[in-house]
Amino acid sequence: MENMGHMVEELLHELSVLPLFSEHIGTFTLTNYTFFLLIALALTIVFFLVSTRRLSLVPKGLGNVVEAGVSFVRDGLCVDILGSENGRKYFPFIGTIFFFVLFNNLLGLIPGSLPGTGTIGVTVTWGIVVFLVYNGIGIKKNGPLTYIKSFVPSGTPLLLMPLIFLLEIVSHFLRPITLGIRLYANMYAGHIMLGIFTILVTISLEHLSPGSAVTGVLAFVMRVIMHGFEVFVAVLQAYIFSILTTVYINGALHASEH
Amino acid sequence: MEAIIPKVPEVLVALASFVVLFVLLSKLAFPPVTKMLDERAEKIRESLEKAEETRVEAERLLEEYRVQMAEARTEAAKVIEQGRTVAENMKNEIVAKAREEADAEKAKAIEAIQAEKAAAMSELQASVADLSVAVAGKIIGQKLTASDHAALIERSIAEVGSLNEN
Repeated sequence: MENMGHMVEELLHELSVLPLFSEHIGTFTLTNYTFFLLIALALTIVFFLVSTRRLSLVPKGLGNVVEAGVSFVRDGLCVDILGSENGRKYFPFIGTIFFFVLFNNLLGLIPGSLPGTGTIGVTVTWGIVVFLVYNGIGIKKNGPLTYIKSFVPSGTPLLLMPLIFLLEIVSHFLRPITLGIRLYANMYAGHIMLGIFTILVTISLEHLSPGSAVTGVLAFVMRVIMHGFEVFVAVLQAYIFSILTTVYINGALHASEH
Repeated sequence: MEAIIPKVPEVLVALASFVVLFVLLSKLAFPPVTKMLDERAEKIRESLEKAEETRVEAERLLEEYRVQMAEARTEAAKVIEQGRTVAENMKNEIVAKAREEADAEKAKAIEAIQAEKAAAMSELQASVADLSVAVAGKIIGQKLTASDHAALIERSIAEVGSLNEN
């Protein structure tokens, strides 16, 4: 049991943000997470550059995969929520978010690697990017005054206006944080779960007995099931991050209608 | 607590990598894919429209062929009926003509038979008269006078005529 506690501590240490080639984290230090983030960046670029060279009118192989992904995000997400014109206009931004988050999430499922999205520094940064972009779109589309006014819905009693305005401002400022924490927490928690089951299997093998064999087999089965479930979570979280971004952009575009 | 405070290098790398990826994907990767998707959608739309046009055309042709077929059937039935009528008329004409010819032949034959009969009767009358005179002469053993001859012939003819009538 003491051994397990030690292993869990070790797991939590491995999953914490650690400098990769130095003792301390400085301004430009590469961390364990940003290292895999850059690998995911390289993989995403290579995937798209290779797959877009194989496009044909009758899609096949990698071309088929990239087309299915792009079609899913552009038509099934952007166009569906924002309409044809705005959907196509903002697809590059939303598509970049979806594919980058997805590649990072999936990369983290390869044993020995970490998801770039498993640290709050990355996910909240992207949340802030989304916050700046959708507010920028809202101000550009409606004008700054109309956009700010839209924070208070029409018909709100005069006395309640300051409170509603304040609540709306707080809710807007919470959006990048909730976006970031949701993604980070899911990825981080998933890796802790996978790590715990791996530790259980390891301990069962180290202290082999009829009882520990049963625990080991059960833990192994759960580890496999959880790994499959994490693939689902990886795709789902990329989808949630993207759909929320799209919904925020849609809200900003139609702010004057509130 | 330390785990939920963003680290500066992570923020910088996350921001820079996102910008780099956004620029690359929006300039190099997404345009050809979206172009291909749009082209395919357009091609599929065109194909569907063409297929619909072809289907309508095929239905129109089928309807035209059906009408033509129905007309051809009616025409054929009419031709057959006309042929049947013509054949019936021809048959009737031929039968009537044959009947007429047969009747004429029959009448002609009857006429010839009547003439033959009359001729035979005349010949028979003459033979019977001569024979009767000869037989009568032999029976009575004397020569008959011319007036006896005449009276005898008259009587025989009268008898033969009455026999013929019976």
